[in-house]
Amino acid sequence: MILRRDFLRSLGATAALRPFIGNLPSLSASSAGPKKRLVIVFSPDGVVRNAFWPATPGAFRTPGPVCVPALPPILEPLAAFQDRLLVLKGVHNKILGDGDRHMRGIGCLLTGIELFPGNVQGGSDTPAGWASGRSIDQEIRGFLQANPATASRFGSLEFGVLVPNHADTWTRMVYAGPNRPITPIDDPYQMFQKLYGRQKGRESMQSVLDELSEDLAKLAAALPAEDRRLLDEHAALVRDFEKELSSHREEVRHALPVLEQGVVEQNDQMPRISRMQIELLVASLAGDFARVATLQYTNAVGQPRMKWLGIEEGQHDLSHEPNSNASAQEKLTKINAWYAGEVAHLARRLAETPEPGGDGSLLDHTTILWTNELGEGKSHSHEDIPFVLVGGGLGFRTGRSLHLPGVSHNRLLLSLAHAMGHTGLGRFGNPDYCGDGPLALT
Amino acid sequence: MPSTAMRWLPPVVLALLQACAMGGEQSGLAIYRTHCQRCHGEGGKGTPGVPQPLAGDLSVAQLARSIDETMPEDDPKKVVGDDARRVAEYIHASFYSAIARDRNRPAREELSRLTVRQFENAIADLVGSFRGRGPGIDDRRGLRAEYFHRRDFNRERGLVYEQVDPVIDFDFGIEGPDPERFEPNRFAIRWTGSIVPPETGVYEFVVRSGHGVKLRLNDEPPDRPLIDAWVKSGDTIEHRGTRRLLGGRAYPLTLEFSKANQGVDDKKHEPPAHASIQLLWKPPHGVLEVVPSHRLIPQRAPPTFVISTPFPPDDRSIGYERGSAVSKEWFAAATAAAMETADHVLGRLEQLAGANRDAPDRREKLRAFATNFVERASRRPLDAAAKQVYLERPFAAAPDADTGLERAILLCLSSPRFLFREPAGPSDGFATAARLSFGLWDSIPDPPLLEAAAKGCLATSDEIRRQAERMIADRRTRSKLRDFLFGWLRVDHGPELVKDATLFSEFSPALAAELRSSLELFLEDALWRDGGDWRRLFLDDEVPVNGRIAALYGLSLPFDAGFRRVRLDDGRRAGVLTHPYMMSVLAYSGATSPIHRGVFLARNVLGNVLKPPQEAVAPLSADLHPLLSTRERVELQTSGVACQTCHTMINPLGFSLEEFDAIGRHRTSELLGETKKPVDASGSYQPREGDEATFRGARELAAYLVGSRDAQEAFVQSLFHAVVKQPVRAWGPEALATLRAGFEAGSFDIRRLLVDIMVMAAVPPPGSVP
Repeated sequence: MILRRDFLRSLGATAALRPFIGNLPSLSASSAGPKKRLVIVFSPDGVVRNAFWPATPGAFRTPGPVCVPALPPILEPLAAFQDRLLVLKGVHNKILGDGDRHMRGIGCLLTGIELFPGNVQGGSDTPAGWASGRSIDQEIRGFLQANPATASRFGSLEFGVLVPNHADTWTRMVYAGPNRPITPIDDPYQMFQKLYGRQKGRESMQSVLDELSEDLAKLAAALPAEDRRLLDEHAALVRDFEKELSSHREEVRHALPVLEQGVVEQNDQMPRISRMQIELLVASLAGDFARVATLQYTNAVGQPRMKWLGIEEGQHDLSHEPNSNASAQEKLTKINAWYAGEVAHLARRLAETPEPGGDGSLLDHTTILWTNELGEGKSHSHEDIPFVLVGGGLGFRTGRSLHLPGVSHNRLLLSLAHAMGHTGLGRFGNPDYCGDGPLALT
Repeated sequence: MPSTAMRWLPPVVLALLQACAMGGEQSGLAIYRTHCQRCHGEGGKGTPGVPQPLAGDLSVAQLARSIDETMPEDDPKKVVGDDARRVAEYIHASFYSAIARDRNRPAREELSRLTVRQFENAIADLVGSFRGRGPGIDDRRGLRAEYFHRRDFNRERGLVYEQVDPVIDFDFGIEGPDPERFEPNRFAIRWTGSIVPPETGVYEFVVRSGHGVKLRLNDEPPDRPLIDAWVKSGDTIEHRGTRRLLGGRAYPLTLEFSKANQGVDDKKHEPPAHASIQLLWKPPHGVLEVVPSHRLIPQRAPPTFVISTPFPPDDRSIGYERGSAVSKEWFAAATAAAMETADHVLGRLEQLAGANRDAPDRREKLRAFATNFVERASRRPLDAAAKQVYLERPFAAAPDADTGLERAILLCLSSPRFLFREPAGPSDGFATAARLSFGLWDSIPDPPLLEAAAKGCLATSDEIRRQAERMIADRRTRSKLRDFLFGWLRVDHGPELVKDATLFSEFSPALAAELRSSLELFLEDALWRDGGDWRRLFLDDEVPVNGRIAALYGLSLPFDAGFRRVRLDDGRRAGVLTHPYMMSVLAYSGATSPIHRGVFLARNVLGNVLKPPQEAVAPLSADLHPLLSTRERVELQTSGVACQTCHTMINPLGFSLEEFDAIGRHRTSELLGETKKPVDASGSYQPREGDEATFRGARELAAYLVGSRDAQEAFVQSLFHAVVKQPVRAWGPEALATLRAGFEAGSFDIRRLLVDIMVMAAVPPPGSVP
């Protein structure tokens, strides 16, 4: 099999997009102001604390010739974006109740509310079911879709990378409502079909209409006159359809991304699948298919084996090694740095893509939030949940690391909603954890 | 000789026309013969002197005025006034108007497109042909059940026993199915098999359980079950999902249940709990019920692709669905369905084409698949030119093989070779195969048929007959006949049945659904268990009855008893004629309706053409005539001369069923005010030929109908049209009589009649091949 770094040629979303922009009212600057987008990226099993958190709060780069020390090893791949980086330490997931810490870690991460009692038994604690509320991305989606000025074709898109093929509390992060988990699409071909299937089908249809007309004429000529009428009518419908297709203003204004064929869903293909999904994600933001997206790498308790980094063990197994195991710590650092690299690649692709109908790049109008179900794997801590933000979509003040005094993560969820314009949202998830409302991050 | 149109007028109308003619005034026909025919010829066909046929688009009034003023040319005063009007009416109705000309056109087999039903079935079978055959028909019912003493379905380590469970409706209590063999919190059950829905439509499925359950139904992405409540969450115990299913097919079903928790194996958090499970459905015309045993089979069918694209309904203006016209809406639907099908196929190439995503020979496999797909869709091998158009070019022009296949599928499914009945190729064995398969299955030929065609083994009537006999033993034929019979009985649309709550307090929508099931079972038995004798449809005095129906019709059965055949009312029942569902449908909410019953008998059973009433009439209220019986009230209401032309036929037929009330219970008297009045169930019928027949009550009516040539002919014609979707007259003026005679000679076996029809219609009408 040919391995190419360039897994996917994106014919459109960047260069090819430009000529169409002027034609599309929803893409040009409107009364709604500049577009804001939110992309939430999930990776599992906690981080290596001392390789992840900046030692001190404050700006990453001070004015003048002297720079602060380089970013911690895990965040190092994001160095190119450190001006647009905001690292939030001291945000805790305080939700208690049924379910083990991985389950609550992912199930309450975006919902901010307890899990229902249920029949999924974790390694500790009582069994649980699904989350009892909707997740913040879906809350924001609902808000945006309710207003024609901010509504998009899908509202939100849920991407995954190697999410195991069973639905349980550990594999679901996004909830449309209580007991309504949304399955992420982790097959890029399936996602392509969702995004472009209709368009591709129409193009394929259009490409065969000449053949069809030719055969129709031939068959009609061989029929008695009484029967020819029906085929003639059919031929006329084909011609009308052809005209309709060629004058059709489809929602897709850019050339379709071209996916490399033949990539199967297997552990070893994770890097390829990740890049394919990122490419589809960037294209769908550029096409304004959605303003909110999630990208879920594996699941809580995720067990990828990153052989391409020279690591044979599964990630979750490694995360259970004592912190004194230097080899395991080193491997976990490499694993988490790999995720950071994918986040950086996403940021780079967004930065390379001009904002349709607006100023700057997609990254100027998009915030990536990279998070995790645990603060640390070994202790299964819900303290200091990793929250790393990249980009300018939410208007937060970036280029810094902020250390907060152990605030509940519900308040961060509220900040996301408010920054996306949903300022009427006073409480989210369990109201007891919403304290003083959204965090001040601007 | 009366014209064909006249032939179908009720005798009463003919009698009236004759009476008018005798009353001193000349009929239109007589005037025409006297004054017009010498120039315009018989039937307006023209003469050497006036060769133009007499045809045009003037209205009756315009025509009458023109005749009044100008005709006959040698002496326009000869035909004026009423005479001019009468002759104009005659000319207009008999051959002048567009409608008359159309009616007089000799019947011919016309090119038609697939009906919606045919399209759906053809797509299902086309895709299904790459998945293998489904289970045949046998007597086994229920679902295969595997009981495990573990949390999962590991047969080697955990299977305790297997059995067939007739329905899924269990209450295991706290102990579980068997305390000796299962821990109370440690058991799992998997039911597998297939579900056989009776008709096409949307089915809602409900699984009730407080534990982990998962229902897969005809489920193709395997990770997306119809109902996934494997994670129990909160106190939800009712889980729902809907699927559209085509009737006449078996769909694979797997229902899994586990009482234990999943995830980490830890009994600490499994307190004693009550366990139960129910599998229910709500069929298109039914109510929510436990899925009955007779709709479940333990064998596993391959999945069936059911398109979800909605189509505009087909033309049914002449009594049967046919693909006689194309429209923009239809074309848009067909195109959308083609794209839906291409999506489905492209997403399942591993199972359909054996082509893995990373297979090195994927291109070759997709090409081979495309060839099979296009040839099966076209119902014949492609010649070299067609191969170029349908296969070579789409693949050559596409950037990759998958896109090539997508284009080939889209082209093929939008092509007349797929969409039309049969526009391409000679009238050979392949054409015969398609006629047989669309006739009996509303679908494309299966591999044995195509093989027979390829070998030239579909040339003689005997060969065709053998194939038709083979093909009848198929769920699709059963489904087609079932739907035909429901249409023949005018209950195919699932009429809403609401009955007067004070008079019939026990009658409910649920009971109406049970009665419909009873009729369905009655027809199934009559066709497939009891020899298929058409006469039994009228003469059988047994009714399938379950506990709930029994209570209302004077029988004592346990309330939850399943369906069984019972001789009701001491042998006074007469098959479909008195079936409680039919009697309830053909009635008002509180009273019988002899008119509805009579119209049904006159039209559907005896094949008469009835015109709609000349003016809309509301039924007379019983309250206004409290002392009149229903029969007397109907007689009063329809006593006008304008009504009598049809009601002299309708009423006496309907009256013969007066011994069955508005919910189909037998009665001998009717309560009028304070007094009971005996019911008069005497009736009569004037057949199209021969003497008037009289009968009293349903049994005598049934005995008359089974010997009635009108009824026999009407049934044969209805079945022919429903199956072939072309006019029977296209196969010659004697075709109907021939089939009827064969029906009688074959002891009125409906299945044999179906074969006879197919043997006739499997080849083009004589003389029609250019």
